Amino acid sequence: MKRVVAVLLATLVGSVAAVAQQPCLVVGMIIGGTKDDAGYNQSQYEALMALKDKMPCVKILFAENVPEGDAEAVLENMIAQGAKLLFPAGFGYMFPALNLAKRYPDVVFMHPGGYMLAANFGTYFSNVQFAYYVLGVAAGLMTKTNKIGFIGGLPVAFVLGNCNAFHLGARAVNPNVETVFVVTGTWLDRAKEVAATQALLQQGCDVIGSHLDSPIAVAQTVEAAGAFFVGYPSLAVQKFAPNAWVSGLGLTWGDFFVDIAQQVLNKTWKSAHIRKGLEAGFITLGEFGPRVPEEVKAKVLEYAELLKAGKIEPFAGPIYDQAGNLKIAAGEAWGALDMGKFDWLVQGITGSPK
Amino acid sequence: MNGDWFLSWISGAILYAAPLLYPTVGEVLGQRTGMVNLGLEGLMLLGASTSFALSVRLGNPWVAVFLGAGVGLLANLIYAFLVVKRNASQLATGLALMFFGLGVSALLGKPYVGQMAAALPKYPLLGPRSLLFRYDLLVYVAFLLAALAWVFLFRTRWGLQLRAVGENPAHAYAAGISPARVRLAAACVVGFLAGLGGAQLALGVTQTWSEGMTAGRGFIAIALVIFSRWNPLRAIVGAILFGGAVVLQLQLQARGIGISPFFLDMFPYVLTLFVLLLWGRGVRHTAPASLGRVYFGTEERGG
Repeated sequence: MKRVVAVLLATLVGSVAAVAQQPCLVVGMIIGGTKDDAGYNQSQYEALMALKDKMPCVKILFAENVPEGDAEAVLENMIAQGAKLLFPAGFGYMFPALNLAKRYPDVVFMHPGGYMLAANFGTYFSNVQFAYYVLGVAAGLMTKTNKIGFIGGLPVAFVLGNCNAFHLGARAVNPNVETVFVVTGTWLDRAKEVAATQALLQQGCDVIGSHLDSPIAVAQTVEAAGAFFVGYPSLAVQKFAPNAWVSGLGLTWGDFFVDIAQQVLNKTWKSAHIRKGLEAGFITLGEFGPRVPEEVKAKVLEYAELLKAGKIEPFAGPIYDQAGNLKIAAGEAWGALDMGKFDWLVQGITGSPK
Repeated sequence: MNGDWFLSWISGAILYAAPLLYPTVGEVLGQRTGMVNLGLEGLMLLGASTSFALSVRLGNPWVAVFLGAGVGLLANLIYAFLVVKRNASQLATGLALMFFGLGVSALLGKPYVGQMAAALPKYPLLGPRSLLFRYDLLVYVAFLLAALAWVFLFRTRWGLQLRAVGENPAHAYAAGISPARVRLAAACVVGFLAGLGGAQLALGVTQTWSEGMTAGRGFIAIALVIFSRWNPLRAIVGAILFGGAVVLQLQLQARGIGISPFFLDMFPYVLTLFVLLLWGRGVRHTAPASLGRVYFGTEERGG
């Protein structure tokens, strides 16, 4: 009899403990690359880890290197494990995730950078182009040759926008700056990225920015050549260019992920396109490198503050394209929702937007 | 366009030729014994990931490069065993090896993504201040090796034996050569050189590891073997042209000359097709006669 009571008690205690350990929310994320790429994937993963730290009751499900074709199956498996909030954290996951969103109306999907919405499918991203303007200011002040370079993966609107912002920021403080734009034709081919960096350095560019999945190879090549480097999209790349480092931008969504998780828990979450910038912590300006003079730091921070306060508009007209056509008229300014419209490069940039 | 332009192009072309030249020279030797190896890409990746990982661990890039090449050699023994001893289809075995290398290299390299490794030291030809012609030792060695491979193939008795096996293993056997032994030895060289090419790419050129980082160079090497018509010296020219296409594309962009990067990316393959087209009419330079065929033994079976 005693034994039976003991067993019953043990079972009871066990089930109470199990209830106590029940997570408040199961959150899943998939990424297309690896979580340590010092780039896009790492920034997504770090936001997820920040969520885990700040809300210990959340259970995290995570998978990396997920090909787009497998995304639906992996996400569905996470739903089967109880996930109620999913981050399909790669641009190419938009359609697979939308398909699932239709089938699982009680699961919330948050997609980075997508352009579609559904009742349970929202999107988020940082206003990178505006922040890149600040890196342009830094580049314009640091360059000695008055030539700066920008490496893009593919010539898509957001990449062109970053290059334009980089150039406009540099021009704002140094009217003699010319920018050279090169695309590698792929998001990740390290050998090509090295070749692209060398081509820019040989052209006399001495500050290099980029928009790639992971700019490690670019950082190391610039470091070896003794030139300057600005990092994006993760500040983790700084260690690959300790001396070349000017500053950088990191995609930082940790606090935002916490907000979203809270909203899902409180059932207050609503589907929307959420785009915010430096002012909301969606993107963070990195620390300065050892070769950046104090007056440059001050100027860059001044521009960052002005931007946060909405006192400068990077894409305020008149802005002309390479052929001299007026693209943004005087008195007009492009905002966050116009960033997908770039199919042209600003006057003073060498390179092709096609 | 001036001489300065050509110098920066050739400087870059040579750098990107080296990691192509290693697997190409290896594959020329392999195909001269009658073996096609479609697994070069996998072998290069294995060499790249293991050498990068070892360089992080050991801090010595040279030891890492040679161990990485050794891993390529070991992996290609799988191919050699299946093709030479088990008479397996070369194409199927090579493809399986490619996928094997892709997966295993990703697995082995995973903990080292985003890490810093000791890179191969550079020896600039034009002094320390110039950005041009700054190569690690393995770049210079690649060209020397191609020349030595030519001497070996066409000026030594061993080279003659190797070619004999590739032309007709049965006749070679009758002449007292063991086709199996020659092919095994060649497979070791193919594996070692493909691994070395991958290791040089990871520790000499990019100084990083990322999954699938060879980005098709193992297949470009196979195209290069055909382009060079199984001649290591012509492979040098081919490797500079193929490697140079990538560099040219990026340098043209940096100079503001508008040409689609996608167009120039396909240039190496178009060149290969073009060579095949022209070469179809020639009779003197043909592929090794037994290339791709299974050699069952001294008896000819099924032609």
